[in-house]
Amino acid sequence: MPESILEVEDVHTYIGQHHILQGVSLRIRPDAVTVLLGRNGAGKTTTMRTVMGVLHPQRGAVRFGGREIHRLRPFEIARLGIGYVPEGQGIFATLTVEENLRVATLAEGAETRERLRRIVELFPDLDRFRRSRAATLSGGQKQMLSIARAFINPTRLLLIDEPSKGLAPIIVEHLTEALRAMKQHATVVLVEQNFAMASQIADDFYLIDDGRTVHTGAMAALAAAAALKKKYLGI
Amino acid sequence: MSRRAPLVVALIAFLLPLLWIEPRTYLTLTIAGLAMGMLIFLVAAGLTLIFGLMDVLNFAHGALFSWGAYAGFTAAVLLNGRWGWAAAPSVTANVALLAGALLAAALVAIALGIALERAIVRPVYGQHLFQILITLGATIVLEELIRIVWGPNDQVMPVPLTFQGSWDIADVVVLRFPVVAIVLGAAVYAGMMLALNRTRIGLIVRAGVENNEMVQVLGHNIYRYFTGVFAAGSALAGMGGLMWAFFSQSVRPAMGGEQLIFAFVVVIIGGLGSVTGSLVGALLVGLSYNYVAFLVPKAAIGVTMALMVLILLFRPTGLYGTPR
Amino acid sequence: MSAATSPVELARLEYRHRRLRAPSLYLRLGLVAVFCLVPLAPSFQIVDLALKIALFATLVASYDVVIGYTGIVSFGHAMFFGFGAYAVALSLGKFGAPTYGHLLLGFALGMLASAVVAAAIGAFSLRVKALFFAMITLAFAEFALILAVQWSQVTGGEDGLSPTLPGVFAVSFDAGRALGVAVTGRNVTYYAVLVICVALFLTMSRFVHSPLGRTLQAIRDNELRAEALGFQTFVFQIIATSFGSVMASVLGGCYVLWVRYVNPESTLGVPIMLDVLLMVIIGGIGTLYGGIIGAAFLITARTLLPDLRAVGAALFPGSEILQRMADRWLLYFGVLFILVVFFFPKGVLGTLRDRMAGRVGSARS
Repeated sequence: MPESILEVEDVHTYIGQHHILQGVSLRIRPDAVTVLLGRNGAGKTTTMRTVMGVLHPQRGAVRFGGREIHRLRPFEIARLGIGYVPEGQGIFATLTVEENLRVATLAEGAETRERLRRIVELFPDLDRFRRSRAATLSGGQKQMLSIARAFINPTRLLLIDEPSKGLAPIIVEHLTEALRAMKQHATVVLVEQNFAMASQIADDFYLIDDGRTVHTGAMAALAAAAALKKKYLGI
Repeated sequence: MSRRAPLVVALIAFLLPLLWIEPRTYLTLTIAGLAMGMLIFLVAAGLTLIFGLMDVLNFAHGALFSWGAYAGFTAAVLLNGRWGWAAAPSVTANVALLAGALLAAALVAIALGIALERAIVRPVYGQHLFQILITLGATIVLEELIRIVWGPNDQVMPVPLTFQGSWDIADVVVLRFPVVAIVLGAAVYAGMMLALNRTRIGLIVRAGVENNEMVQVLGHNIYRYFTGVFAAGSALAGMGGLMWAFFSQSVRPAMGGEQLIFAFVVVIIGGLGSVTGSLVGALLVGLSYNYVAFLVPKAAIGVTMALMVLILLFRPTGLYGTPR
Repeated sequence: MSAATSPVELARLEYRHRRLRAPSLYLRLGLVAVFCLVPLAPSFQIVDLALKIALFATLVASYDVVIGYTGIVSFGHAMFFGFGAYAVALSLGKFGAPTYGHLLLGFALGMLASAVVAAAIGAFSLRVKALFFAMITLAFAEFALILAVQWSQVTGGEDGLSPTLPGVFAVSFDAGRALGVAVTGRNVTYYAVLVICVALFLTMSRFVHSPLGRTLQAIRDNELRAEALGFQTFVFQIIATSFGSVMASVLGGCYVLWVRYVNPESTLGVPIMLDVLLMVIIGGIGTLYGGIIGAAFLITARTLLPDLRAVGAALFPGSEILQRMADRWLLYFGVLFILVVFFFPKGVLGTLRDRMAGRVGSARS
């Protein structure tokens, strides 16, 4: 079995006094798309934020490429090659699209320009609305911008939190296409409530409930496991 | 309300007093008001960026104002004592004194500001109540230190000859120092706008004001920017203090605290995190204060509060503030 | 269930916590008894000290309700104290010979003014960021101070007002002795104020432990969640600030009763606000009773410190700078402030409770 690019080992995270993650463990396969499934409040976003260093675990460890990262600060983790697209996109509404992209750019140079060119290919709208304030973009466009931002720097691991949230079905389709295209360039960990979308692009899954990992396996297998789906996802 | 509304309102407020004040006095008052506004702007601009970016309520800003003033005061007294740069009728010498005092004020304020940020503000980052308390404590300590080092009494500030008195332009009395203040304030505003909108650092600061967590996630060491903005804000406060010392021709240990309340009101009026908001707010406050002080002296401070209340009724987050 | 403790265990731990939270009944009765016996002391200074402690302890508790239990940082509290003080002083002084009616009117007006202003400021500014709200209250407080100073025809400006008290409270009142205590105007006032303080304290204690109080704590801990649960957080916050401000106003009136003097500096200004802040920090935010410790510490220190000036002059006759350093007790105040915030953010009582709770149960997650 190939080395996992990201390892989350029995992580316990608290928010204030609340024990949100009570033992989450993940082993993410490189060059694949893994989806974190589970009910609202199960701890999926908290897991993402813990990996990204926004929250620090009280117990347990997070390893990226073998290296422990759970004590690092978010910007250090980002520089290791982890991109994060938070729930609600996190774009800077008062800045223009171009400025949003520039904030994300950490290194000037030919490689970055090449990546930018490829991003614009994937999301042509971003070029058209380059000078517009990001607040004026539609929901789908904001999501594209957010994902594009995560790709400007060499990203080995992309964490995306609920990309389809609040988007119209046709936009979700477009998004799914874009994510499929990205699979070749980076490992993706996805949090997604939209099971249909998840099953289209994910290779592996993890089921999180009550702050714990309860199940894992290949996505294809989950589609058939009606009992599991009913119990943890209500579908 | 549209984005232009604040400016329209400001314009109306600006021209209204002409109904009661005759034009020549009006012009003198306007210049005084703009100058006062500019000085408050210097303090408020730094304050609003610190709030906007770092979410820190910095009470110690007033102490930085005072320390800047006193540092500049010492420099001015030295330069005047040694080479007579204030008393001399030479414009070059006078300007040199001003520059020297400003530099001293800025440097001392920056040093203090960085020390404060590292030692006192950073440890309680994220806990508003403790930030308030700790910066309050720091203010008390710093103000008392002034009384120890320079003595508790008011002292006279040597104002360079060129900046004293007034010019008589077509029968209008134009006080000299206020003009200097206006020019300096305008230059600072232009400089800040340039830095914020045309440089990469400015870009990151603007992004951070909106969402500093996201900026970190995108790979930037936001703490360096915190220190930088804090230092810049401190320098501005220090320079504002020095200018105020020249303006009022004295230095007093309590001067920081008194001006700080104006600065707070201006930040509220202008909106957290907006430098333009601080400018508009400061000018509004400065002008309204001066006009009303002329017409109804006792109501002057009331006007500032009334202005704040009025603006908050229509725009709860300030003229240029963003709802968060 | 996945969590470690069952609901029953949780309830038991809660009960133990609650018992630790409020000092035992005997402690409280003992404290009240001590205060009652104070007028027997020979020196007036001690009586003055004791009552000031009681007054400020209750004031701090009322501030704690706003800041500790509801989580709203406000700088306006001293302003409401001042409202009450001025209301009573004015109604006793400006309408002819003072009577009990005037006294009650003063208190009532003070309470009304405070409630209305607190509600108005709240309605207006509680919707914005907490920082903004803090600044707005500060601006209003400063404004109130300047108003009091400038409106001298009414408020006596910087010199303030010195009202005379009616009937039993008047300095001239003397009705012999009872139970070994001289029944003078002074002592009557002492007991009256003490009774009011204890009553207010009990009211506040009831308030924070009532369902309303618990809702406020929930809002403090997680406003979004409280809203999601259906509570109109806004309304609750206004109620809390109004409640606190009314308490403060009553205490302001009591202050005037005792000191028989009111001026802007001593009742409205930043110094009072700072004092209250320091007291609440030393005692412990969110502990209500911590105010007693904080007030006792600070006021006692204050009374003893002026002697420091003489000490400084005696120790360092030659050096001006060293004399100034000894003289500036406010400096050490500030340093103390900072140290307390850094090392004892929960204050004396808070840290104490944490330690004890830590030993009793493991529910302190």
